Amino acid sequence: MKIIIAVILFSGLGLVWIQKTDVIPTSVSQNKTLSNKPEFFVMEWREGMVLENKPTPFFIEVETMGNQNVDILVTAHDRPVLYTADICTPVCADGECRLMYITIYWNLLGAYAGYDKVEGQTLTKHDHVEFLKQDYEKLHHLLIDDNSILKRKKIDELVLKPKESELDGVDAIAGATIAEVKESVVDGALYSCYVAWNIAHGPIKAELQEYTTSNFDNKLKGYMLMSSEVDYQMYALNSLSESEYFDYKDRIVQIFKSGIPLVRTYIVQNLPKLFWESESLQRPFWESFAEVDINNRSLLLNHIQEAPIEVLLLLASNLELMTKNQLKLYLSAIENIAMTNPDINAQLLRFAESGKHTYAYIVAEFLEEME
Amino acid sequence: MKYLVLILCFFGINFMISQDLLLEAESFDEKGGWVVDPQFIEQMGSSYLLAHGMGVPVENAQTQVNFKKNGEYKVWVRTKNWVPGEWEAPGKFQIKVNGLVLENTLGLRSGWGWEYAGAVQITNKKNTLELVDLTGFNGRCDAIYFTTSDIEPPSSVKKLATWRKTVVMEPLAPKITKKYDLVVVGGGIAGCAAAIAAAEQGLQVALIHDRPVLGGNASSEIRVHTLGIYGNFERILKKLDTEHYPNGSPEAHKDQIKRDNNVKSYENVSLFLNWRAYDAKAVENKISYVDARQTASAESIRFEAPLFVDSTGDGWIGFWAGAEFSYGRESVDQYGEEWKEHGELWSPKQPDNAVMGSSVLWRSYEAEEVAEFPEVPWAMPVARDYAKVKGEWQWEFSRNDLNQIDDAEEIRDHMLRAIYGSFGNAKKLPENANRKLEWVSYLVGKRESRRLVGDYIFTLNDAKSGRTFPDGVVEETREVDVHYQTVLEDEKNPDFISEALFYKTPKYYIPYRSLYSKNISNLFMAGRNFSTSHVGLGGPRVMRTTGQMGAAVGFAASLCKKYDVNPRDIYTGYLDEYMNLIEEQKYTPIPDSKK
Repeated sequence: MKIIIAVILFSGLGLVWIQKTDVIPTSVSQNKTLSNKPEFFVMEWREGMVLENKPTPFFIEVETMGNQNVDILVTAHDRPVLYTADICTPVCADGECRLMYITIYWNLLGAYAGYDKVEGQTLTKHDHVEFLKQDYEKLHHLLIDDNSILKRKKIDELVLKPKESELDGVDAIAGATIAEVKESVVDGALYSCYVAWNIAHGPIKAELQEYTTSNFDNKLKGYMLMSSEVDYQMYALNSLSESEYFDYKDRIVQIFKSGIPLVRTYIVQNLPKLFWESESLQRPFWESFAEVDINNRSLLLNHIQEAPIEVLLLLASNLELMTKNQLKLYLSAIENIAMTNPDINAQLLRFAESGKHTYAYIVAEFLEEME
Repeated sequence: MKYLVLILCFFGINFMISQDLLLEAESFDEKGGWVVDPQFIEQMGSSYLLAHGMGVPVENAQTQVNFKKNGEYKVWVRTKNWVPGEWEAPGKFQIKVNGLVLENTLGLRSGWGWEYAGAVQITNKKNTLELVDLTGFNGRCDAIYFTTSDIEPPSSVKKLATWRKTVVMEPLAPKITKKYDLVVVGGGIAGCAAAIAAAEQGLQVALIHDRPVLGGNASSEIRVHTLGIYGNFERILKKLDTEHYPNGSPEAHKDQIKRDNNVKSYENVSLFLNWRAYDAKAVENKISYVDARQTASAESIRFEAPLFVDSTGDGWIGFWAGAEFSYGRESVDQYGEEWKEHGELWSPKQPDNAVMGSSVLWRSYEAEEVAEFPEVPWAMPVARDYAKVKGEWQWEFSRNDLNQIDDAEEIRDHMLRAIYGSFGNAKKLPENANRKLEWVSYLVGKRESRRLVGDYIFTLNDAKSGRTFPDGVVEETREVDVHYQTVLEDEKNPDFISEALFYKTPKYYIPYRSLYSKNISNLFMAGRNFSTSHVGLGGPRVMRTTGQMGAAVGFAASLCKKYDVNPRDIYTGYLDEYMNLIEEQKYTPIPDSKK
């Protein structure tokens, strides 16, 4: 197997990634277990869980320090849960270097999951001042941000005041860009933050995802779909065949109700057509209308012409949740039954005459035109 | 004196004769602190006056009105409550006739329509009419209608348009026609650059712009700084661009003066400031004319030319003429624009109508004394607990039920609620006791709307690969950055804050073929409405790049005139000459004094 390894080189203030191939790890991972939730962790942790380290073919090579192995953490039933690496790396600033020790965790898709301090080692800032509790928290928050400004800037661009013309990466301001860096990194520890972020979000991320993908089976698919982790849900949904949408329909409805807007959107946009042709399959999604965000209500309403009469009635009791354009869509769908269906008509009247709804006038005008 | 219209109307079977008079608010002699807002004419039917006082009632607008007949008139006002709900309407105002306030407070109804202000006894020919703002929070008045009849004027936009034409006896077509070599509609950076480039090559150019100042998003009214490189057009673009000051900075005024003076210095550019195009007519896929109206006086002109540039941003000229256009996000597979790391946020599996949002910039300052700010309950459902004292580019709003063109007023108003609410929250903190709003834009700074389709559609892949084109006339090094609303990731986030995803690219090029319409034979486009995919727009939407597009079409227009051909013919038959002309622009000509 071809292994791609990222190496961090320190040269002055610069930090360079180099890809190497077919490098043999210089250290061997030791059998370890993880029985406590990492101190800084973004994922759910099941109490009592004990994870065992198993080696992977991946490692991160750190200049002058050799290779740092990446292990996979598995349950007693051999189910993969996390990837981890004990990192020891030099952090150099102004010609002075010191070592930083940190244990990083990645989820199965290579996203940063958390970190632990290494026993007996503390993280330090400029002039060897030790990290305070809030500094560790801040580092964690920085590492969570996969779209950090550190991603698109070289270290010297963050330290030296750049020329204005170089700061045109964003429709923002020179001053704000610097402020953004200050806001997100630990004060006095820019270099440590930069190094840690680039390890956590370096090429290893894609390699780990690829490793998981190559071992992706139905068991893992089910696990990810059942998970509350957003990127697991998205990854699993993306891998579903049309028939699996039916197999997992209850879970999909559940995610639609409780998930973040982005995942809901994916669901409603990618549901197989058959869902919209079946009253019973589409109904649970409509029943979530009041609970989901505005964007997803709009996406549901794109299917209003396929909705059964019960759904039209259900929506009639939710008129106050609709935006102006959503209301217009709804009204166009009930045009033919607005005056003949007494329940819907009553709801329209109730809404139009309530006197407190922003868009009551739209329904009032609609009823006026119907008469 | 104000123009106004007196008509005789016949109502019903009784043949009752009434005296009627319609006064457009935007045509008031003195606007006082009210501002003319022409942004939403296509949706609500007219320019209107807006009391944009940032919480402090603005000075009265005033005008003289001549009545032909004395008598009792009923006064109707076209307005709306811009945030209806269980609170006092934010934009309340009154009407004063000859110093007397009419009985009803206005700005209370939901949706644009007529509100009854009261009756007034007219005893003199000359009368004074005033708009009295009560809140400083964006009350709006479109028109005032005096009638001796008991019938309420129509509210629905469709009926209103017909009614208005009847009432003011508006001619079907403009009485005045003007002819040019090139008509450029939209005076943003792209439109200005197009006008200058064409004018330098000797063309007679009309530049139509619906604001009093040039520059669009870069103007002192919106204040976004220009980004991107100059490409071949440094000389022209330096006449128009901005310094790299913070977005929203008053430094924008300095660049405004530079820009306006530079454009005005071209004798063969006829500048129509405060004119807004409202129609374009194409016969056999060729535009014959564009009609435009003065935003305050409603005077209209027909602009004829063999060539037109659509730099309206919203692609209006193309839209009216029947040009192909796109809106929203293509599916990830349509052009293969995937960025795995950011998945659906970057480019979705299924196409949708999501676009990058619009910004409304604002800022505040430390006053020397404690400054009060009123309670704004009507803003809180939007702002929630967000507390800030200024707004940068991240203050951006887009939602899939709102179209950036059709729903622009709602988008602007949502941002105003976000701003006033967030500032109100910040004011509750002791450290902001002296904070005062300095400036809040009332113009929507759009990033994305209609994209007209050209012979070539620029995509992310052209940027990623740095693909070169034989007709590559625009060049850029800026990353492709696409914005999304952070509320998509977490419902706890405010819905008016965005995040940018940056895709680093090598230097890339935009071909000339993306700058003229595929199906309207004499239409160029420059600016954000050029021919591109949604993701493709992420990079070159900034204003030095769009300025390059403008300059490129301006030069192309000069060759179209020289050979009496259409934009496409430049690519098929005159490309060498065109590219040489573009290349020459790199070099500053030797000044006459040095020759």
